[in-house]
Amino acid sequence: MDVFGSFSLLLAFVCAVYAFVGGIAAIKTRHPLLVKSTRQAGIATCVLIFLATISLEYLFFTDNFSIAYVVSHSNRDLSTFYKVAALWAGQEGSLLFWSTLLSVYVLSVLIAYRNKNGELMPYVGVILAGVQIFFLTLNNFVENPFKTLATVNASGVLEPFTRMDGNGLNPLLQYPEMVIHPPNLYSGYTGFTIPFAFALAALLARYPGEKWIHLTRKWTMVAWCFQSLGILLGAHWAYAVLGWGGYWGWDPVENASLLPWLSGTAFLHSVMMQEKRGMMKVWNVWLVFSTFLLCILGTFLTRSGVVSSVHAFANSQIGSWFVGFIILTILVCFIAYFKNRDYLKSENMLDSLVSRESSFLFNNLLFLVACIAVLSGTLFPVFSEWFTSSRISVGAPFFNKVMIPIGLAILFLTGVGPLLAWRKTSMESLKRNFGWPQIVGILSGVAAFVLGYRDGASTLCLFLCGFVTWTIVMEFYRGAKVIAARTGMSMMMSAHELAMRNTRRYGGYVVHFGMVLVFIGLAGAAFNTDVQKAMNIGDSMKLGPYTLVLQSADTKVEKNYTAQRMIVEVLKGNRQIMLLYPEKRQFQGTEQGAGTMVAIYSTLREDLYVVYAGMDPDANVPVIHAFLNPLVKWIWLGGVWVVMGTLLALMPNRRAALVVAVAAEPVVTPGAPALSPTTTLREGHD
Amino acid sequence: MINRHSSIVSHTSRAPQAVKKSSLSFRAKRGICFPHSTLTRISFLAVLVVLAFGSFWAAQVAAQSDRAKQIGTHLKCMCRGCDMSISTCAHPGGAFSGPCDTAKAMLKEVDEHLAKGESEQQIIDGFVAEYGSVVYMEPPKKGFGLVAWLMPVLYSVVGLALLVLVVRKMRERQIAAAPPAPSVHTEALERARAQAARETED
Repeated sequence: MDVFGSFSLLLAFVCAVYAFVGGIAAIKTRHPLLVKSTRQAGIATCVLIFLATISLEYLFFTDNFSIAYVVSHSNRDLSTFYKVAALWAGQEGSLLFWSTLLSVYVLSVLIAYRNKNGELMPYVGVILAGVQIFFLTLNNFVENPFKTLATVNASGVLEPFTRMDGNGLNPLLQYPEMVIHPPNLYSGYTGFTIPFAFALAALLARYPGEKWIHLTRKWTMVAWCFQSLGILLGAHWAYAVLGWGGYWGWDPVENASLLPWLSGTAFLHSVMMQEKRGMMKVWNVWLVFSTFLLCILGTFLTRSGVVSSVHAFANSQIGSWFVGFIILTILVCFIAYFKNRDYLKSENMLDSLVSRESSFLFNNLLFLVACIAVLSGTLFPVFSEWFTSSRISVGAPFFNKVMIPIGLAILFLTGVGPLLAWRKTSMESLKRNFGWPQIVGILSGVAAFVLGYRDGASTLCLFLCGFVTWTIVMEFYRGAKVIAARTGMSMMMSAHELAMRNTRRYGGYVVHFGMVLVFIGLAGAAFNTDVQKAMNIGDSMKLGPYTLVLQSADTKVEKNYTAQRMIVEVLKGNRQIMLLYPEKRQFQGTEQGAGTMVAIYSTLREDLYVVYAGMDPDANVPVIHAFLNPLVKWIWLGGVWVVMGTLLALMPNRRAALVVAVAAEPVVTPGAPALSPTTTLREGHD
Repeated sequence: MINRHSSIVSHTSRAPQAVKKSSLSFRAKRGICFPHSTLTRISFLAVLVVLAFGSFWAAQVAAQSDRAKQIGTHLKCMCRGCDMSISTCAHPGGAFSGPCDTAKAMLKEVDEHLAKGESEQQIIDGFVAEYGSVVYMEPPKKGFGLVAWLMPVLYSVVGLALLVLVVRKMRERQIAAAPPAPSVHTEALERARAQAARETED
């Protein structure tokens, strides 16, 4: 099976090279048969990569311990569930997994557009094949997952050998989220390849700038959704497994996943400027180029170990390959841009600094500043070692100081943006639109204050959350009122109808609301408290409103691990609320040590987070570390809303009279020139 | 209904309202249309009040928290195994997921310095002298470390300047009315657009 997998990978590489070279020839000669054969080579590449992945999984399932990668990341007792996840537990498998997910996208694009976009698709095919060639080079020649174990025998000849059992999967990865978090994050990373390929293809094929945006809108949203979900799942994994009471440590690998998310979010917004008003075409092209490059850079930072991190996945020579690929991509982008930039002319100019357009500009400014700030902060320790002899640490305190103001500004803009009309907003309408959200914001700020959330940035954050929520409610209310008046439906039904008629806009608002919930959760972090105590059976400690009593301890023997379990009774006042079971797991056959199972009693108000830290080295009694983390649950709830909003935005619009859709927009100043017919049509289409 | 709510809010902000009144009406006279309905003005002032109190309380909370632990969040645990601060060091995957001996010793050291009446900056300087710049989890606000702090500021300023510049340029109507002759003819662009439309019907 390993030979089969290895051969599939090699053949995939050959097919990708053919798709690339043949594709270029097809563009030059426009020979229909050549176009068709290169497309089929592209499809074959994807199928072969799938076959290689399946065979690696097969090697895991059949416990084939003659394969080095299987030996390093699995053992006989590992459950089937985690054998699936072992695929991406190490360097070689992760890179193969990257190729696989990219192939899912490539295959969908090649099949979905097989009879469409005749002139554009050969270019898209070539670019996608180019990216695949890079990753297949790594898969085949640098980090091949199918390497077999070999030893030198007595007569000096290399001969294969098989181990009895493997080293097992890293305990930190033996957690359900680790099975779904990496696929989500990688789907995000790889997904941005599609808009990138279309943007570059449109530029090379001299398509006017709006077409590729129209074609890739949904692909971008899908990639963005996976990326968001991947980041949140990663945060939840860190929270539930690492046992330090937090979910985000500004670790280089976490930052790497945030970078393309920030620029991708900027892109999702500025795209609307182009669709509605035909502006910022050059900007959008470069935003999507940067997002793709940041995805590659993110993979590079994660996989190369260039910046040391808690994750510390890898340390290998693939760094130079990534740097080479990034430089090559930048060069191609520059050449394509300078050759054909005239096809990216704007149709409209900005009318006013107080308008929806300019709020999008500020949005982009803030997201990009955030992105570059995180990037330079992450790489700064490396620079400091180059320029000075000592390494300067850039840790969480730095990022918090820099990112909290930027985050709050973005949150503020989330509320303000929808209140501004396209082109120009009068102060009259601003006043009308700002009053209520401001009051609700103040009420929530005061409520936060009374409830004890008293910290400069956090109280401000909660104020803004109230403000933004109310602007979203008002958007739905205003639109629904118009529909209710026209159709006589109830307000709830009208709101539903409204959302279905312009799914992207109202889906966007739902995503915004999800982000508000996330921000509420983040605001709680300023009030975290914790106690750590070595406890004998029967001892108790107090934390906030809770009293924790260590009742007993037991040992649980499972197939793959032995767990020491503490049974902690939680009292609020004198009433018993529940029993918590924090665990420490010792895995068999692993060299990496133990896994922590945090026990969490989660409410909307706060999480009681209990860790069994281990036996006190001096007194030999169990040490319990308990955290009280307010509002954390809101972050995960927000994630659910973000996904629901994106799904809504991906649904096709329900057809309705154009007039209603336009009426739902904030009112344009009387006297300002009416929207041109083309703009109105786009509006209805959207 | 609006008035009822605004009266609740105005409780807290009656005094500053009177002071600000003249300046606001002055602006209105000059033709800049600043929100001047009572409702908006009151809520605007209330925001300022909330912000002022917010920062005041932030200072209060900080003073009451465990000083050593708070300072500890800025100091990296030098055990070379956890890469976390001495206040959060938890050794994920280790046999004991609590502060290790190194973190405990360093926290104790902070406590001793605090007992001597040293300030936060003095303590951090002491640690940097002992372990090197790597121990401080923030870049120092001097020397090369200052660059790290100035970078985000620089991005914001340059970005904002560029944004204003672009908006200004766009607003210059002359340019909008007579764009510089593009190397692609309008005709060619239209043709390309029509072709794209034909090829991408969906």
